[in-house]
Amino acid sequence: MTAPSGPAPAGVPAVHCRSLGVSFGAVRALHDVSLDLAAGRIHALVGQNGAGKTTLAKVLGGLQTPDSGTVSIAGREIPHGDVRAAKAAGLAMVHQHFSLPPSFTVAEALELAAVRPGGRRVYRRADLHRRWQADVAELGGAATLSTRIRDLPVEARQSLEIVRALATEASVLLLDEPTALLTPAATDALFERLRRLRADGVTILVVLHKLREVAAVADTVSVLRDGELVLGPAEMSEVSQGQLSDAIVGSGAADAAPAGVSASGSGPDSPSGTATRSALLEMIGVSSADSAFEPGLAAIDLRVDSGEIVGIAGVEGNGQRSLVSVIAGLSPLTAGSVRIGDDEMSAAAPALRRIRGLRLVPFDRNTEGVSQSAPLWLNQSALRLIDRHARDVVYPPRRGIVHAVAPAGSERDDSKLRVGERLGVRWRQLSPLISLRQFKSQAATAMDRWRVRYDNVAQPAESLSGGNIQRLILSRELDSDLEVLVAAQPTRGLDFAATEFVRRSLRARRDDGAGVLLVSSDLDELFELSDRLAVMYGGRIVAHFDGPYDRRAVGDAMTGAVR
Amino acid sequence: MTSGLRRAASTVVLVVVSFLITALILRVSGYSTGEVLSGIIQGAITATGASTSSIRWAIPLLLIALGVVIGFRAGFFNIGGQGQFYMGACSALAISLGWRDGPAGLVILCGTLAAMLAGVLWSLFPGWLRVRFGTDEVLTTLMMSFIGALVLQYLTAGPMRNPQGTGQTAASERIPEAFRLTGGSGVSLTVLLLVAAVTVLVWLVLERTRFGLTMTLVGRNATMARWQGINVRRVGLGAFALSGALAGLAGAVELYGPAARLVTGFSPEVGFTAVVVALVGLLNVWGTVVAAVFFGGLQAAILFLPIVTDLPPPALVLLNGMVAFLVTVKFRAVRRRKAAQAEAAAS
Repeated sequence: MTAPSGPAPAGVPAVHCRSLGVSFGAVRALHDVSLDLAAGRIHALVGQNGAGKTTLAKVLGGLQTPDSGTVSIAGREIPHGDVRAAKAAGLAMVHQHFSLPPSFTVAEALELAAVRPGGRRVYRRADLHRRWQADVAELGGAATLSTRIRDLPVEARQSLEIVRALATEASVLLLDEPTALLTPAATDALFERLRRLRADGVTILVVLHKLREVAAVADTVSVLRDGELVLGPAEMSEVSQGQLSDAIVGSGAADAAPAGVSASGSGPDSPSGTATRSALLEMIGVSSADSAFEPGLAAIDLRVDSGEIVGIAGVEGNGQRSLVSVIAGLSPLTAGSVRIGDDEMSAAAPALRRIRGLRLVPFDRNTEGVSQSAPLWLNQSALRLIDRHARDVVYPPRRGIVHAVAPAGSERDDSKLRVGERLGVRWRQLSPLISLRQFKSQAATAMDRWRVRYDNVAQPAESLSGGNIQRLILSRELDSDLEVLVAAQPTRGLDFAATEFVRRSLRARRDDGAGVLLVSSDLDELFELSDRLAVMYGGRIVAHFDGPYDRRAVGDAMTGAVR
Repeated sequence: MTSGLRRAASTVVLVVVSFLITALILRVSGYSTGEVLSGIIQGAITATGASTSSIRWAIPLLLIALGVVIGFRAGFFNIGGQGQFYMGACSALAISLGWRDGPAGLVILCGTLAAMLAGVLWSLFPGWLRVRFGTDEVLTTLMMSFIGALVLQYLTAGPMRNPQGTGQTAASERIPEAFRLTGGSGVSLTVLLLVAAVTVLVWLVLERTRFGLTMTLVGRNATMARWQGINVRRVGLGAFALSGALAGLAGAVELYGPAARLVTGFSPEVGFTAVVVALVGLLNVWGTVVAAVFFGGLQAAILFLPIVTDLPPPALVLLNGMVAFLVTVKFRAVRRRKAAQAEAAAS
């Protein structure tokens, strides 16, 4: 490892910031954050999703220009949003997602970042390679300087990101959620490495999600909540796990009555009322492969009955995406079975599941929920496009199915029509051609019912606000017959009115007898809506809760404290 | 549809600008621009047989361009129309020469179907590579196009060569006159009706069927389409197949119409000009019809000009290329701006 160029003089904090504020439109990402990080120590930064951790890291690294406040690295003030100045002051950053080009070799990637020997523009590659030989040894396995990055295992890529960051001879290292993708063993190895860097005098700020990891590696801890620094930097020896949980999730409900936490791994059997209820969604021992950014599912047992909202709590990236895409049929399962109603659906195509009554509110409404450039009516009609043939052929209409707010008068009685009209109806049923007018008017009716505000059904979806786009999605997913609704982060980024509308809609469908699975990282939302709650951690369901919920117990389960 | 009008107007402006730049280049090179312009008008419209010649060239351009439009709907850029066109013509020729005493109607029907099938196969392979491995279809369709041109060269110089043939270029035997749908002019009522029917059919498929709307959704945002339960791969393959079928059909129409036999490297530009036609037509069926007639006229003028001026033939290909260049730049710029806006909206 190269020696850090200029450790801060004793007494001067390695990182010093005052009254930092960042807003994205109406959203306050950071508010009046002041922080001093002592040199040569490992500092942890924790908080829920959206608390401002990544924003703070970006401001320190010069990638995000703050609206107000100052940043100094090793006593040098960094002009707002100046990446080069931050680098020159000795700060290096390892991003949440891998940033190295996969087609590069290890040597090329390092060369990209390196300070050239003697500051010359012309240099010998062999000199660089000699310096990096030791670092490459740390990547482990068969990796050499000429290994392509795409061929490296995840842990080695992570290590390489760090090696690359330090190739700039940094004295302050910033790591944004470096453990999100690592196995426990790789996490331990990473921490060992951080300790060695600390011994070399490097100051480290690491964003972490799991309190166990904080306890394992950090000297001090700071907590962000809703963009404000609510705790720290505090010495780890001086704060308890409970204090940290409270600081992270807020202490509003700490005095709630303790709720029964069922032992982890046991079935979600609810003791009463099962006789009258029917399972609409059932997952038995479902596992799936890891994806690029998330652990896969590990033996998930989950059941959603008619007339209930089951909440899925968890820090993002603990398998929620895998869960939803396995239910939707977008990624395959490796073991277990998924049932919708009485039907085995483990291998069914996504279209069949939707026809069978599965509805989805996807995580990212702008890319997964709507097609931005397509007209509103086409976005609204997507379900109708797959529905026609398959519904009658594959699944006869079912008794159990929940009917939407019936569009009165939409079904006409054929017997009252004259012969010519009857032929016309018959032609429309047989013809491969569709009536755009009918599609558009059906879309308009549904959108009006769900209070989408628009001028023209032909305008593109991108012209709507976030709340309106979510209403559009609801008008597609909830306006027709449905059995199971999976809603992923349905209110993220919405204003108060839109949030309330979405929540009312979910409750209304629950009361109609649908089964609702609500995946959210907003604990208040989960507590307010869920009849039952399951907590995901590392691709497993680690705890079940029934209301009233104990915020601290749920928070502990989310951070992996309950195993 | 004011936005549609605005886009049409801006495209017309680009075409006019291309004309001006070409005129400037010709002027600098010492040609009289007035003479060239009058030559273009004569060659495309006023000279004897000029307007027929324009329509004759508009037909293959339109058919192949409609295939490009279909590909674009589903989000794919099939620029290999030339090879699909050649393979279609070769298949129709093989059927027609192999069964030369068959009933004309049946042979033409079989030949046309074979041509469409060949076009499908020639585009489905890159299509499959695309949906299965994510291979860039711009590259693969282009490469397949070169392979198609070389297969044509091999066939006309080898197995299908007319043994009695004279002259420098390798050519096949002529198909029996009974099989021809037009005279040497390349235009007849039958062919015009056929092309009109195909155009209307393509419009119906794109705008008035579930498949067409599904293609639009997939082309606009495949991720959203997947979440909606649409089988994105199957839709993509369908679009490639339809696209290739139309280029193959153009090959058959060329053979049964003006060509009657295949010559190495015949109609070398149509497949690529058709891409420009589709872009100038704003990827819209009726716009493409207008653009095909325009570029058909230009093609006729290119062939006519050397007769009345001392202009070498490539000089007007320059104009063609200028239009293609400007339209592509505009198309990419708009796409990029939209992508940037979408990204800004999402973050």
